[in-house]
Amino acid sequence: MRTLQRSSGRGSDSRKRSCVLALSLIGVLAASFSASTAKAVAPTLTILSPSDGALVPGGDPVVVRFAVSDFTMVQPGRAGQIGGPNEGHARAFLDGQVVRLVTDLEPFSLFVPSGPHTIRMRLFADDGAPLSPDVSASVRIIATQGPAAGVPSIKILSPTPLEATGHGIYVSYRISNFTLVDPHGQPNAPNEGHLQLLVEGIVVMEVVQYDPVLLVSLPDGDITIAARLVNNDGSELTPSAAASVAIHVAASSAVSLPLVSNGGIALLLAFILVVLILRRRQAARANDKLRVEKP
Amino acid sequence: MNRTTLILVCVTIGLVGGSGILAPNARAAPGPTLSIVAPANNAIVGNGSPVAIVFAVTNFNLTEPDAGPSTPDSGHAAVFVDGGFAETSSTNTVVIPLPSGPHAIRLQLVMNNGSALSPDVTASIAVMVTRGPATGAPGLSIASPREGALLGTDSTVSFRVTNFVLVPAGGPAGVPNEGRIRVRLDGANYSELTDDAPLHLNLKDGPHTLTLELIDNGGQSLTPAVAASLHISVRALVGRVQPFDATPYFALANVLLGLGIVAAIYRKLEVN
Repeated sequence: MRTLQRSSGRGSDSRKRSCVLALSLIGVLAASFSASTAKAVAPTLTILSPSDGALVPGGDPVVVRFAVSDFTMVQPGRAGQIGGPNEGHARAFLDGQVVRLVTDLEPFSLFVPSGPHTIRMRLFADDGAPLSPDVSASVRIIATQGPAAGVPSIKILSPTPLEATGHGIYVSYRISNFTLVDPHGQPNAPNEGHLQLLVEGIVVMEVVQYDPVLLVSLPDGDITIAARLVNNDGSELTPSAAASVAIHVAASSAVSLPLVSNGGIALLLAFILVVLILRRRQAARANDKLRVEKP
Repeated sequence: MNRTTLILVCVTIGLVGGSGILAPNARAAPGPTLSIVAPANNAIVGNGSPVAIVFAVTNFNLTEPDAGPSTPDSGHAAVFVDGGFAETSSTNTVVIPLPSGPHAIRLQLVMNNGSALSPDVTASIAVMVTRGPATGAPGLSIASPREGALLGTDSTVSFRVTNFVLVPAGGPAGVPNEGRIRVRLDGANYSELTDDAPLHLNLKDGPHTLTLELIDNGGQSLTPAVAASLHISVRALVGRVQPFDATPYFALANVLLGLGIVAAIYRKLEVN
């Protein structure tokens, strides 16, 4: 009986020990699991500026500011480097092309031609491999040579309405909130493009100059000259930015000079002829009178 | 005994050689390396953009020049363009504005005092810089006047180029997507255009053929050739309202009046 009791007492002790061991093991596992969870906070990357969809005006480079969390920026490939799980560098991509390898959090600037672009930043480990899972951020921007804000407009300063001119005339104008750029197939961008000049609704010239433009061979009569701002591909702005002026074109004095001079000479000659004829008649009468008196 | 001693000596030499002498050489830190990540070799850099050279190193600490002692595992990169020194970089990116044309870019790792590593560690690429776009086929069209237009003596021709930038003559040959426009009038060279300003024409009456063609900096046609032609007719007084022109009649009247004057004078003399 004692033996039985002892053995049953040993059994309960062993169960207690097992229970304590199991609880300890669970505790250790739980502790290690929670610790590993705390260590494995995933790095993040955020582009602070420019904001998504931002307009980058004036042909200026775009300044990229970014922040990371749970990630240490270091130069890759250092001597004796032992890469940590949460350290590495970032690479910046402009329209898919690598343009920067960034090892600190300093802002950097990118040259961007006119048009829409995508800036993407991605975190890389020290060995040059992208983090897994991928940590990246991207923004879309639109670059323009023009101003950031304002509605484009154009006003014709000269000629003035109903002005009478010759067949060639300088057209001067004032452009607001718009930058003229050489069109060479680049994408359209806000507030930039070139200027079309129209005579009677037909485009006669495309220019990228702010100075007055000489229009030549204008047709006679009452005509309308117009100027409108267009995108890089020649399409009209939305809303349209145009101005027009009605003028009267007439032949210049140089054109009518032969007519005037010939007519003038004819009048002079006619006058001389009339004078001669009158004098001749007068002389003839005088002769007749002398003949009558002499006999 | 001698044999045993010999074996022991051989084993000892083997152990010493394996663990003490040869191992350090096998475990010696590998030397620095340098590679250019971007741009790719023979890349075209368009829009006149500065060239962003992204490079990677291994076993090398990038430091500012003259910062700390000179050791073979730290320093900076010296950048050479077309054989000439351009600048130094202690970061993994260096941005260099370059003119149009082909360029050879070489990076060299140097120590803090500027001296090259031994052995030399360099990387090179070739790039082509153009003020035109990096990609896209050039195009040319005439915006005004229209085909078959009837024009006055003075006229202007506006044109559009796409994927091509007009630049002054004298640039390096072989640069893609930049150059100028050759103008031919009735088959003969007329002028060359280096900007987008409209072409001014002063033509005599009659039909004319105008051809614009994109040419490269060397004056050669592009491959394939890119050209646009226009047929126009010129009439001096086109667009002018011409009322009855009495000029020839006045001229005839002048002659007759002159004869009349002469006759009147002659008759007068006869009478006298």
